[in-house]
Amino acid sequence: MRQIFRYRDLVLTLVARELKVRYRRSTIGFLWTMLQPLLMMLVFYLVFSQLFRFDLPNYPIYALAGILFWNFFSQSIVASMNSLRGNAQLLQKLPVPKAVFPLATVISGVVNLVFALVPMLVLLLWRQHGLPWSLLFLPVSILLAALFTLGAGLLLSPLAVFFSDVVELIGVLLTVLLYLTPVFYPMAILPEKVRWIVRYNPVRSILEVFRDPIHYGKIPPLEHLAVCIAIAALALAAGAFAFRRNSDRIPFYV
Amino acid sequence: MSEAAAVFARARARPGAAGEEPRIELRGVSLCYRLAKQRVPSLKEYAIHFMKGALAYEKLWALREIDFVVRRGETVGIIGRNGAGKSTLLKVISQVLKPTVGQADIHGTVAPILELGTGFDPELTGFENIYLNALLLGRSRREVADQIEEIVEFSGLGDFVRSPIRNYSTGMLARLGFAIATAWLPDILILDEVLAVGDASFTHKCEERLRRFHDAGTTVLMVSHNAAAVRSNCARCIWLDAGRLRADGPADEVLRRYEGHGTDPDERRAGHLVTGS
Repeated sequence: MRQIFRYRDLVLTLVARELKVRYRRSTIGFLWTMLQPLLMMLVFYLVFSQLFRFDLPNYPIYALAGILFWNFFSQSIVASMNSLRGNAQLLQKLPVPKAVFPLATVISGVVNLVFALVPMLVLLLWRQHGLPWSLLFLPVSILLAALFTLGAGLLLSPLAVFFSDVVELIGVLLTVLLYLTPVFYPMAILPEKVRWIVRYNPVRSILEVFRDPIHYGKIPPLEHLAVCIAIAALALAAGAFAFRRNSDRIPFYV
Repeated sequence: MSEAAAVFARARARPGAAGEEPRIELRGVSLCYRLAKQRVPSLKEYAIHFMKGALAYEKLWALREIDFVVRRGETVGIIGRNGAGKSTLLKVISQVLKPTVGQADIHGTVAPILELGTGFDPELTGFENIYLNALLLGRSRREVADQIEEIVEFSGLGDFVRSPIRNYSTGMLARLGFAIATAWLPDILILDEVLAVGDASFTHKCEERLRRFHDAGTTVLMVSHNAAAVRSNCARCIWLDAGRLRADGPADEVLRRYEGHGTDPDERRAGHLVTGS
């Protein structure tokens, strides 16, 4: 941890580089970050409130907030798994603390998420004729989501170094997880029999802390928040522990 | 003056003689690369083999029971054939690889001079790369900002610092790499076959800077295939052979044996005799 603090300037530079690569080449890159979730939301909107019909007020906002969270979560995990391999040359030559790479990946994911929030705010203004005060709570939600995601990234990224097929495997698992998380459907449509699976899915808790202030316009209840803090802390502790244990072996395998 | 006397005189003159504080202490260092017999191990294969109880690995000991101490102010050459373990040894000293067995104590900051282009991003400008590279070496933004003019000046890149380094020549990259790694006075400097590139005037500048470091007490490790380069820069030399320490002593003596070895069967049979240092 102290090592990473010493290399904090490096982390920021890596973040800046990652964003630059993403946004320099094209203005499309920048627009795409905002446009892609909107298009996905539109598809979900057409499918779920026009074809299947369920009643949820402000479904477009519900779905869009879910998609933004999910994109951040899944893309950050996959990118942190690739970050060690992508920097193999450096890891074999320099004694940099290896965690800076997944860390920088998650931080640039947060920046992308913040950019992608802009069209969300526009949509809110248009549909609700104003922004709820509860949006001020979003930084806390994003922080929790980031810590949770970083924990998962730290846990999985050494595995991706040791075994080449882990990235694909996790890709499949993420798809399964997407369906087990109420990203684009409301909890209410689930039959009672399977609802408990989704209820005990930690990703759902983190998602709701992010979405409630946007969609319902209210700050999540204290006990829910406490559960989420515990989940994020646990994920981060597990990730940091696993990463530390494996970190010496990484340069041998990248 | 006899050759032995010359060696003795030089050993006396070098400031890094016994009594100085140790900078690198290796005790019984062995390092093993575990190579999976099947290329690109996947989790699926791992699971299958694990269940069959047939997880086969090939063990490659790149270093075996290496012991030596290098003190403040010493300049040590490291020689050996390809695959003798020189690069692995440098990675242990720069703390990239942890020894499988044994203890490697490194005291102070290590400045590795990297192979061409490592730690650079071809799309970024020279200026941006100075930051990236120095931060990778563990410097802070402020430290880089304080030194950046000096780095640009030393590298002799001029206005080129403002263009992406994919346009640079090999010599320019080497100069920039050297300028960054040596911008701060390190406790230990690692040179891995780098002084070969660059024109005469730059080589001269490098040597001057190395001399200044040496006078300030920096410990220098130099890996080279070039016996002449080792002889002219190093008082002491370490010879690695198949991962073992074959010889460690005054450069002239070790180099004479290294050069003679291969032609002299007696010498080869003598095994890894360690001459005192």
